[in-house]
Amino acid sequence: MVRLFFRDQFPLILINIIQLLLVLFVVWMGGFQHLSLLIYALFLGIFLLTIYLVFRYITHRRFYYRLTRQISSLDEVFESLDAAPVSAALSDLLKAQHRLYVNAIQQQEKKRKEHLTFINQWVHQMKTPLSVMELIIQDRDDEQMMSIREEMDKLEKGLEMVLYAARLDAFEQDFHVQPVSLKAAVDGAIRDNKRLFIKNQVYPDIQVTSSMIESDEKWLEFVFNQVITNGIKYSSGIGKRISIYDQETESGRDLVIQDTGVGIPKTDLKRVFDPFFTGENGRVYRESTGMGLYLVKEVCEKLGHEVHIESVQGEGTLVRIRFFP
Amino acid sequence: MAKILIIEDDPKIASLLQNHLKKYGYDAVITEQFDAVTEVFKQVQPNLVLLDINLPSFDGFYWCRQIRQLSTCPILFISARSGEMDQVMALENGGDDFITKPFAYEVVTAKIRSSLRRAYGAYAPKVKERVVELNGLTLYVERMELSKDKGLASLTKKEAVLLEELMKRSPRVVAREVLLEKLWDDQSFVDENTLNVNVTRVRKKLQDLNIEDAIETIRGAGYRLVPNWETS
Repeated sequence: MVRLFFRDQFPLILINIIQLLLVLFVVWMGGFQHLSLLIYALFLGIFLLTIYLVFRYITHRRFYYRLTRQISSLDEVFESLDAAPVSAALSDLLKAQHRLYVNAIQQQEKKRKEHLTFINQWVHQMKTPLSVMELIIQDRDDEQMMSIREEMDKLEKGLEMVLYAARLDAFEQDFHVQPVSLKAAVDGAIRDNKRLFIKNQVYPDIQVTSSMIESDEKWLEFVFNQVITNGIKYSSGIGKRISIYDQETESGRDLVIQDTGVGIPKTDLKRVFDPFFTGENGRVYRESTGMGLYLVKEVCEKLGHEVHIESVQGEGTLVRIRFFP
Repeated sequence: MAKILIIEDDPKIASLLQNHLKKYGYDAVITEQFDAVTEVFKQVQPNLVLLDINLPSFDGFYWCRQIRQLSTCPILFISARSGEMDQVMALENGGDDFITKPFAYEVVTAKIRSSLRRAYGAYAPKVKERVVELNGLTLYVERMELSKDKGLASLTKKEAVLLEELMKRSPRVVAREVLLEKLWDDQSFVDENTLNVNVTRVRKKLQDLNIEDAIETIRGAGYRLVPNWETS
């Protein structure tokens, strides 16, 4: 900060000294050759300059301080600066900029919120036609209707995912941690995927104890749902069973969801939790959005659980969700 | 006969529900006057109300509070909203239960039945018992009994479910998937083997009633019940 001050004032100091020396030189040349008097004059000049610099520094201290330090939060802009004109101008400038910036952010935020509300409403609106279709075909069971129902299940799942993805932003207001029965949550997720299991001739094998964990039931079921859906999808026609069991570990309790499906190629394994990453399997199974596991990871992080995935291509995938006590 | 008022602004859902409930012996009434629900309520005097949340002008919560000033009859909410907050609101505003769209007919009927039972008790027996009849063979679904002529066989829950489907669709083929789905309940997950075992058991029960080879296996598709027995 002192360095900036001197660098800023350097031309003034330089010109001042040159000026002094020049005047003294002219006076000397003019025949006034009293050395001590001239040195005294030089000293006076420098003394005045120093006084000015000190005064200047004191009155503009905050100004230089502000200029040298990075702003780390928006509110710092409102810290008062010195009363000197340049300081005041800087302060005004910062405030004006801050105002504009905040306005822009608010606009964006408003737009984002509107968009979110729209998505939420839209999803709910789409559910009504879906309900109508469900009701219409519920009593029929010929092949075509079954096929339509299957597609509708996919639609419903997709809508559900959109809803959860949209809610993720407002997660803090939308979750409620309480003791949840692991078994109840798993059973719920299994129930939601009943038709998918049957259709793909994959069956669950469940060995979950009824232990309680701290979590949010709705979000937890969403997580299980995603993992189980993946398990079914990628073991259709290959793996006969998806085993779901829990284990007591040193650091808490693990829930393991294991399938014997196609597995994930080693090169893709690191990136499965990235948003929009579909990988090799995504190219084969065209319905991947690449969002499922990303959301799983995000939700788990927010709930304070840990999720790991292990897989050997061609042998199956194991997803481990760790709950800390 | 229990009277049910359906307040749902989607005309298709309303009429589908109405038809379904009528099949089960309820007197279902739908309304299009969403601005005067209390008037309709007074006029219809229902035993139970199915109420949507998203309605034109006032929402379901509002109407629920209004109805509560007139009656304590069961009110079941039906809504696409699935947030916890909405469910809490629904119950706080005087609702008795909450059904999320899309829903299955079975869920609605089961919840209606349970609410009626709790609220009126006496209504339960007045609602028709579910009976499936085919060529002299009678299945009492809820009692899980099967009778023909003088003979009577009692079934397990799974057998009853299985036979109900087969009888209802006879002589059409019922896909294995459909049967699996029906058998699959919350506690037990059903695989192909369980289905086979249960089909075998049902065949045996039919044999007890002197019905032979009525259930045909259609390879790669499913099963079919052929009413090949004599009626006396």
